[in-house]
Amino acid sequence: MIKSLKKIKKIVNSDTQLKLGVYGIIFFLLVVLLAPIISTHDPYNFGPDVLSEINENNHILGTNNMGQDIFSMIIYGARTSLMVAVISALISGILGVFVGGISGYFGGKVDQVISEIINVFMMLPTFFLILLIIALFGNSITNVMIVIGLTTWPSNAKLMRAQALSLRERTFVKGAVAMGENQRQILTKYIIPNGVFPVVANTTVGMSNAILTEAALSFLGLGDPNIISWGQMIQSGKAYITSAWWITTFPGIAIVITVTIFYLLGDGLNHVLNPKHMTMKGGK
Amino acid sequence: MKKYLTRRLLAGILTVLIVFTINFVIIRLAPGDPVKTLMGRETDDPQLRAALEAKYGLDQPLPTQFVAYLRTAAKGDLGTSIIFNRPVTEMIKEKIGATFLLVFTAAVLALVIGTMMGIKAARREGSLIDIIFSGVSYIFNSMPSFWLGLMLIIGFATQLKLLPSYGMTDIRNTYTGYKYYLDIAKHMILPVGTLILIQIPIYFRISKSSVLQVTSEDYILTLRATGMNERKIFNKYIFRNAILPTITIFGISMAYLITGVALIEIVFAWPGTGRLVLTAITQRDYPTLMGIYLVMSISVAVMMIIVDVVYALFDPRIRY
Amino acid sequence: MKSILELKDYNVTYVNKKENKKVYAVKNAHFKMFKGDSLGIVGESGSGKSTLAMGILNLLPKKSTEISGIANINGDNLTELSEKEYKELRWSKLSVVFQKSMNSLSPVHRIGTQVEDIYRVHKKNATSKEIFERFSYLLNLVNLPDSVYKSYPHQLSGGMLQRVSIALSIIHNPKLLILDEATTALDVVTQGQILEEIVKMEKEMDMTRIMITHDVSVVAASCNKIAVMYAGEFMEIGKVEDVLKNPKHPYTKGLMVSFPSLRGKKEKIEAIKGYLPDLSKKYDGCIFEPRCNKAMKICKNIKPKSIELKDGRQISCHLYGGEENEQ
Repeated sequence: MIKSLKKIKKIVNSDTQLKLGVYGIIFFLLVVLLAPIISTHDPYNFGPDVLSEINENNHILGTNNMGQDIFSMIIYGARTSLMVAVISALISGILGVFVGGISGYFGGKVDQVISEIINVFMMLPTFFLILLIIALFGNSITNVMIVIGLTTWPSNAKLMRAQALSLRERTFVKGAVAMGENQRQILTKYIIPNGVFPVVANTTVGMSNAILTEAALSFLGLGDPNIISWGQMIQSGKAYITSAWWITTFPGIAIVITVTIFYLLGDGLNHVLNPKHMTMKGGK
Repeated sequence: MKKYLTRRLLAGILTVLIVFTINFVIIRLAPGDPVKTLMGRETDDPQLRAALEAKYGLDQPLPTQFVAYLRTAAKGDLGTSIIFNRPVTEMIKEKIGATFLLVFTAAVLALVIGTMMGIKAARREGSLIDIIFSGVSYIFNSMPSFWLGLMLIIGFATQLKLLPSYGMTDIRNTYTGYKYYLDIAKHMILPVGTLILIQIPIYFRISKSSVLQVTSEDYILTLRATGMNERKIFNKYIFRNAILPTITIFGISMAYLITGVALIEIVFAWPGTGRLVLTAITQRDYPTLMGIYLVMSISVAVMMIIVDVVYALFDPRIRY
Repeated sequence: MKSILELKDYNVTYVNKKENKKVYAVKNAHFKMFKGDSLGIVGESGSGKSTLAMGILNLLPKKSTEISGIANINGDNLTELSEKEYKELRWSKLSVVFQKSMNSLSPVHRIGTQVEDIYRVHKKNATSKEIFERFSYLLNLVNLPDSVYKSYPHQLSGGMLQRVSIALSIIHNPKLLILDEATTALDVVTQGQILEEIVKMEKEMDMTRIMITHDVSVVAASCNKIAVMYAGEFMEIGKVEDVLKNPKHPYTKGLMVSFPSLRGKKEKIEAIKGYLPDLSKKYDGCIFEPRCNKAMKICKNIKPKSIELKDGRQISCHLYGGEENEQ
């Protein structure tokens, strides 16, 4: 166990972007976990100090027009962002992996039809569709996560399909076929576990996009009003940009930092998982 | 080439049909009945209800309804706005010019600036310029566009009082002639600037990696072995080969801009379709939203087809 | 007789400044080539033959390569030329055909366009008509139709593209043509045809050629001299019929035995035991010694000098008196 941890640490440290990304994620997760300890106030609390400036009245980053402490809101907002990122990425990933895996593995007509569907879906402007659906079905955070997941699976499917196409020619898969394993087993035991790595790297991009999409939806007034999110904070601060610029500025910085961390992680994973490294690890 | 064009066109038409289908389906899937959605959730005018039901043939089987929907759309009728009580098509027509002004200016400038940055970084890989450009590109790639817009307003309009922060023209003065265009241009700087900053990273990334990759190709080595001077090798051979992925990216960028410009228009109170979107959302004006979604998707599909055709013009491997 | 190419103490070293590492890819190369010679340089992968060619062509990255020694082409010492002077030599006196034919020309430009650009590097005012006529003649020499001129690279097969590369390489009648594994990526039949065409062409144009390959049969079929290279050093250089029929150096002998012969009785194929040495180290003795089945004590400690035997061949081996001074 220690040996594999050491090995992982060595791999992580070998690539600058991966290193920054992994440490960034750890930092982010710590913030999420320790939110109640780190924040100075209860973010939901409408306090007496309205529109306090930075460092005024014990508020590190000031307060908004309802008296909520900006710093604490940002810390708790991290939880929302993480939840949105992970759940929509999970839905999008699982859908994509199955559709792409089936398409690539079975090939033939099935593949042709599914590929065309994937291509068409990739051409559709997704953000506006998400907007429409939320406007129609209600703006709860659950809806947001599900809709993002349901509209972003095509890129994962495309990657998984390419993997499945090349994996099904590999000897260990052909061996399994010869041994009589049925297609469902082959798909779930061999194709998917071995082909999923690039999808994982792509998922980090999906997570970043999910965070940005949620922020944009909140900015348009389609966010969930019961939850603290960075997008909501920016939107509520819009009316006060001339008088209280900190309300909009800091949540945006939080988004930039978080998204950058996810991108670094994704880029780093891609560097490390490229074909040269894959032949060393693959074929478990 | 003809075969390629027809395939692209068919794909585009298929996409548009799917958009229609999506519009058609989600209205019926949404909570409540479609007519209420189209009427506006608050009202319940029996006359209006009867008129809508007749128009959309809601008592007919679904396929007939769908065809009817396609027919009305083909005639240019995208429904009537609930709040403004005007045909959606008319409202969109009024605002779309301002929107396209932003979109095209931003698209072209981002392409030029981003690609030039990428080429420079590739030629001086590892240098300080490369590191700075790459870092800046990374950061801007992670920004929500609307937040960047707000930050620019705070910076340039509020603090430095250099540029106007809203609208397309100065409401207090009316200019004519070139002063009018200058005024518009001044108002365009911040919104277009925001869009450009958000889009530069993708051009930077693709042009840098493309130039690096092409430079290491065998044919460049061959050309160097012939004694051809570096400038000619770069301008004619490296450039022509490296620019190909950028063309594809232009299509993607346009798609992003067409759909994302609404957010910027809202931040800067730009009189384009974006504003329509905002009011439509807050008032749940579905006909307007769906109409805009349709126009947007068609625009994107058209842009993609044009981009694919241009790509084929530049890459003979596709044509023959 | 004046030599076309003469190498003396020619060294190519790769330098990694960050880690302070050097790789001695080519050491103390020396040989002479005369007009009309066709020299086949053979060796395993990693023996340094391509590096030697790239070094002579000055196509190695300047920041990480050190070249020293003398490489005389027709009087000009290549190691002392500036890039500007080098450019005048390129293609007009010294040209090359590379291995990967599929990618040796720009995919988005027509072949004719590239031919014109390359031609005009040395003859700025040539008209399109002149260039087409000249290339048409060359296409004919390599058995290609004129229509190739207007095509794009992807419309031609690997064999056709390789022939185009060859035609292009002789467009200015260079004194020396280097073919670096030029037929390795082709199927045997095409390879045979192209080698025949090259030999025919050479006679017509009175050209001198270096052929770099790991395939001895290519050298046997098309060259008059052979140079055997191992780990960056030349083991044996001589006339093809001498060296192939009667290999003297233990490494050459090993190479000949590791090729199956098409005719004659079935022989046992033996591989040479051992692996290539680490080229970042300098060796006191003979570099082939660890794998040599005839190694003597002196081979470990003293490097054999290159000497000339009675039949004209050069050899670096203590079995033949390597500790005496060279010619």
